[in-house]
Amino acid sequence: MQKFAVFTGSCQSLPVVQYLLQTNQLACVVLVDGQPNPDLMQLQQWLKQQNITTLPYSKNGDDALLSQLDRLAVNCGVVYLFRHKIRKPLMQYFNGELMNIHPSPLPEYRGPQPLYWQLRNGETLTKLTMHQVTQELDCGDIACDVEIDIHPFDTIQCLYQKTSQALLHLISQYCELKQNNQLALCKQTTEYTKLAPALQPSDLVVNWSTCNTSDIVNMAKAGNLDRFCAQLIFRQSTFQLLQASKVECVLKGITPGTIIELGLKSGLIVKTHDGAVKLDILGATQGCFDGYRFALLFGLEPGLVFDNDVAVNSR
Amino acid sequence: MEKQQAEHGPVLDYAEPRVDELLKHSIRTQLESLLKAKLTTGQRQQVLQKSFTDAMTLVLSDTKIEHSTLLKAFEAMYDQAVQSMALAQLSEELLTKQYVSASGLIMSPHNCKHTIKDVYRIQGYARGLDRAIHSKLKHNDSVTILYPACGPFAPLLLPLLSYYKESKKFTNKQVKVILVDVHPGAILALTQLVEDLQLSEYILRIEEADATEYKPSESIDILVLEAMQHGFTKEGQLSIAKHLVQFLTIDGLMIPQNVSVRGMMVVGETEFNQQWKQAQYSHSLNVNNEAQQDRVELGEILSINKSTLLNMQELELQDGVKVIPASKIKLPSGVKDMGKRILAIYAHIDTFADEGVEQYDSGVTHPRPDMTFYIDAKPKDIEHTHFVAHSGDMVQFYYQLSGLPGFVPVKL
Ligand SMILES: C[S@@+](CC[C@H](N)C(=O)[O-])C[C@H]1O[C@@H](n2cnc3c(N)ncnc32)[C@H](O)[C@@H]1O
Repeated sequence: MQKFAVFTGSCQSLPVVQYLLQTNQLACVVLVDGQPNPDLMQLQQWLKQQNITTLPYSKNGDDALLSQLDRLAVNCGVVYLFRHKIRKPLMQYFNGELMNIHPSPLPEYRGPQPLYWQLRNGETLTKLTMHQVTQELDCGDIACDVEIDIHPFDTIQCLYQKTSQALLHLISQYCELKQNNQLALCKQTTEYTKLAPALQPSDLVVNWSTCNTSDIVNMAKAGNLDRFCAQLIFRQSTFQLLQASKVECVLKGITPGTIIELGLKSGLIVKTHDGAVKLDILGATQGCFDGYRFALLFGLEPGLVFDNDVAVNSR
Repeated sequence: MEKQQAEHGPVLDYAEPRVDELLKHSIRTQLESLLKAKLTTGQRQQVLQKSFTDAMTLVLSDTKIEHSTLLKAFEAMYDQAVQSMALAQLSEELLTKQYVSASGLIMSPHNCKHTIKDVYRIQGYARGLDRAIHSKLKHNDSVTILYPACGPFAPLLLPLLSYYKESKKFTNKQVKVILVDVHPGAILALTQLVEDLQLSEYILRIEEADATEYKPSESIDILVLEAMQHGFTKEGQLSIAKHLVQFLTIDGLMIPQNVSVRGMMVVGETEFNQQWKQAQYSHSLNVNNEAQQDRVELGEILSINKSTLLNMQELELQDGVKVIPASKIKLPSGVKDMGKRILAIYAHIDTFADEGVEQYDSGVTHPRPDMTFYIDAKPKDIEHTHFVAHSGDMVQFYYQLSGLPGFVPVKL
């Protein structure tokens, strides 16, 4: 008989919790240790309504948690959107039965921001991967996975939603394999090309001298309406870029970042290295606007150039 | 319809022109006064024509006119011109469309409309043109003038034509004009303005065409052109002139007869700030002696006239960009504060005879600081593609004929 503990801090894990609850395999939910946020509070409230046992995780040590898990006879664990690195005692407690869910085709995109970087690199397919928790993050053997198709227009919010739907398939697949004793853990291949590191502020700024058209289009998608929103700099002011599209351009000798066209129908178009990009939707503290209206309101005109950073020229 | 209303007294026969919201917003005062005045079309046209001839009478006068008087006259001309533009009923699309073409920036009519207030540029051109037309008509019965990239108001010529018509100085038999602009919005506004000014008799054609490709069927006696921004950048003046100069008659005139583009190393604060602390307005007569003496002149970088245009060699760079070799300049040595100075490029325009537009007379002759050019100094951030040189170096300037033309320095 499997008794699961789910380690999480977000409502996005609910499909897993619900599935385990309905199949009578849920023992408890272990909640992150940290400042409450709306997502976490909503999760707590829901768990309370469902009379689900919750255990607090402590940054300071696992002893208390371990004895409580033991008391509940927990023998399996699933970790998803849990901000802490699992320590050795907890790993030993589960003896290989603690799984983490990572939204990437591992070993590609190991790290804290897999969905963001996959969008940014223009990937068209991803996976939700269930793998063993090991000392080294995102490196454990793979139990099973579910493919997720990435639409060319998907934003990060779209992917959050899609992964949430795929979660149910993943957890049910995992449990069935386990019940039927068909689970075969598979080592991750040693070769990989891309990582998903934490984001630095400079990662979010569109640098016209280094980014090509698809980079900019993808940055906008990857950050859309998120705290990782892509940023544009114009005359020392920062704006958000929420959506951009590639357009053809044959002009030569124009510095990337130069606005080359503005029109009601054609929109706001900026030269890039390898063509041009239409800035479809822009955000500022004043609101969200299409490129055309934004340009007319804030004085952006063909012939003017976006900056690459906020450095002030002091001469 | 128009007549009927006129019979019932002064009725506003265009009471509710369908003016685009954006235009309405930017010319609200002019529209309000238009509505308040309750003029008939004929009366409005008269006021418009008068404002144009008044401005030209001042500009062509040989006695010195107060700056404020000129300003007022040009402001009146602008007010009337934008009312005419409002009646041309440009769609928002046509009003605001602006883009970089292969040969230069194509400004929207919305942004172009202000150039008719540029007093001393129009003065320098109108006076030069007037003298050029006079000199041509001394030996010829008529003169054909081509004005490419004329914009929605063709301000270098239409006021002068208004003045000729009103003063009966020259008739449509003597002066024939071809107006060319690539922007359909400019063409619409221009057509309305020519009609409102009742100048159609002088106008051979209004052509919607790219001036770098346009081929006039008649030979041209005078080519009048102003399509540049400060530092001789951004707009297609050179490409347009280079293409159209071939259609001039042997003794045809180009107005401006010469544009001399010069470079200097200045202390930004002195040149652009201190110099103007006491001045009432920006003009070559108001420059400050000390500031002028503080400049380190680099000399002429390029001169554009009929003969240099006919001899210009285009080079094509690897990336397909065309350039024209300009001057080779030896950077001066022994200037102590060279590292603190910035390059500024400015144009001096000789329209005709001794008429012209000097530095600071207009936005187009305003020196343009170039923050990417460093002598004896290191750029603050290494990411940008800056030009770095030392005192005494030889620098070859090129003029890049791209969608945003301008100078490119190369160290020899
Ligand atoms: C600054 S405005 C008007 C300039 C005008 N000479 C004046 O004094 O106001 C520029 C105008 O030039 C036109 N223009 C620029 N490049 C052109 C080209 N290559 N062919 C035709 N028109 C052009 C634009 O469409 C715009 O209406």
